[in-house]
Amino acid sequence: MLLALWGLPLVSAPARAAHELLQLFVAEPYLELHTGPGRGYPVTQVVARGESVDVLFRRTDWFKVRTERGVEGWAAARELGKTRLADGAAFQVDLGDLAQFANHRWESGVFAGDYAGATLIAAYSAMSITNNLKIEVGLSQFIGNVSDGYIADIGLAHVVMPEWRFSPLVDVGTGYLRVEPKATLARPVDRSDQVAYAGAGGRLYLTRRFFMRAEYRKYVVFTRTNANEVNGEWRLGFAFFY
Amino acid sequence: METRIRLLLLSVVLAACSGCASMHWPWHHPKPDDSAGAADTGADPNAPPPPVIEPQVERRQVKVPVIRARDVELGAYYGELSIEDFGAQPVAGLRFDYHISEDLFAEVTYGRAKGGRTSFEELSGNVQLLSDAERQFTYYNLSLGYNLLPGEVFIGRNLAMTSALYMIGGIGNVTFAGDHNFAVNFGAGFRVLPTDWLALHIDVQDLVFKSNDIGIYQLKNNLQATIGASVFF
Repeated sequence: MLLALWGLPLVSAPARAAHELLQLFVAEPYLELHTGPGRGYPVTQVVARGESVDVLFRRTDWFKVRTERGVEGWAAARELGKTRLADGAAFQVDLGDLAQFANHRWESGVFAGDYAGATLIAAYSAMSITNNLKIEVGLSQFIGNVSDGYIADIGLAHVVMPEWRFSPLVDVGTGYLRVEPKATLARPVDRSDQVAYAGAGGRLYLTRRFFMRAEYRKYVVFTRTNANEVNGEWRLGFAFFY
Repeated sequence: METRIRLLLLSVVLAACSGCASMHWPWHHPKPDDSAGAADTGADPNAPPPPVIEPQVERRQVKVPVIRARDVELGAYYGELSIEDFGAQPVAGLRFDYHISEDLFAEVTYGRAKGGRTSFEELSGNVQLLSDAERQFTYYNLSLGYNLLPGEVFIGRNLAMTSALYMIGGIGNVTFAGDHNFAVNFGAGFRVLPTDWLALHIDVQDLVFKSNDIGIYQLKNNLQATIGASVFF
């Protein structure tokens, strides 16, 4: 009796821990478990129909799972998408497709390009408000022969046809520009100005979670002199959504 | 006599009433439970098949817990960077990786080293080409990596660790000699995962940029070899 009582918490503790993990039931004849998160890793275990696995975590399109017997292995997302939840409903797994390209929460990307004759490196992240409208923040560095500088900007982008494989987009925003003249020249002082931009471009869905993005922007630099500066920028890059 | 007539009439009325109940009047829609009863007795062979009885079972409410994604790697590395003309110097840096698919990953690195003295400075005595601050070599790279040869490494009989030989390339900036330079980086690396959350790296990369710190534009190759460790989040 005492032993049973003593053993009780020992039994219930792992059961409780396992309960917090997602339990999936194999509905196909079997589920293959690989030794690593990749298509080439050998299959050393199979889980039979009707048995369950606990999902420990996900890495890219692979899920680390634990079987009822306590054996751990990696299941492909595509295979795990054929399993069922405890209530019999199919387990929905997102792999990244054209539908998600149209409808996702976050995206990030990297660009190379040209800002007013200087080489441009830029990165951005965007959060979707609707499928069409996104809030974007970006950070760019341009490296020229005469001067270098940075631009930090925030803006709104409107994707005209988000469900299309290729969609045009337009954006507007504002930011902050810092220009540092080259050290090899006689040193005028660094300067910082506010900028505003308007741009147009397009996005092209490639595969899975990837897309390309190209854009042309016009920047207006609100300088302290009488005339504002207008600079053109083009950028081409890679992005992915999540 | 009167009682007999009354009994007869009553039985006629009763027979008519029971007959009415078994008849299918156009305004009579069978309820699921009474049609089931009719099917049991097999009263009307032309009637449509009875609907399947829905069992009154309460469905289990399954709360789908969020599956943790461990696609992000954060780490540090240390090694040697050969700064062209300025000697091979220790380099230290930070890395951030996002694994997009089993094949591809995006990487951001930031590293620092300090350039040594050139041969010219060493030979000509007290000449200083660059100030101390200008010798600071800092860089960042935005790269895309491809797991070219994924596999497993084995230590002894009982330990197998997943690994990958990857190719990596990208663009970035090198700040050296007081100037920013657009740089291209490319190389290869080896990643091994002793556990699911820890990765060890060996990397060799070339940081190439055009510099005019001596007045003419030159392509500078800066080879870097590092070892590092990172943690998956």
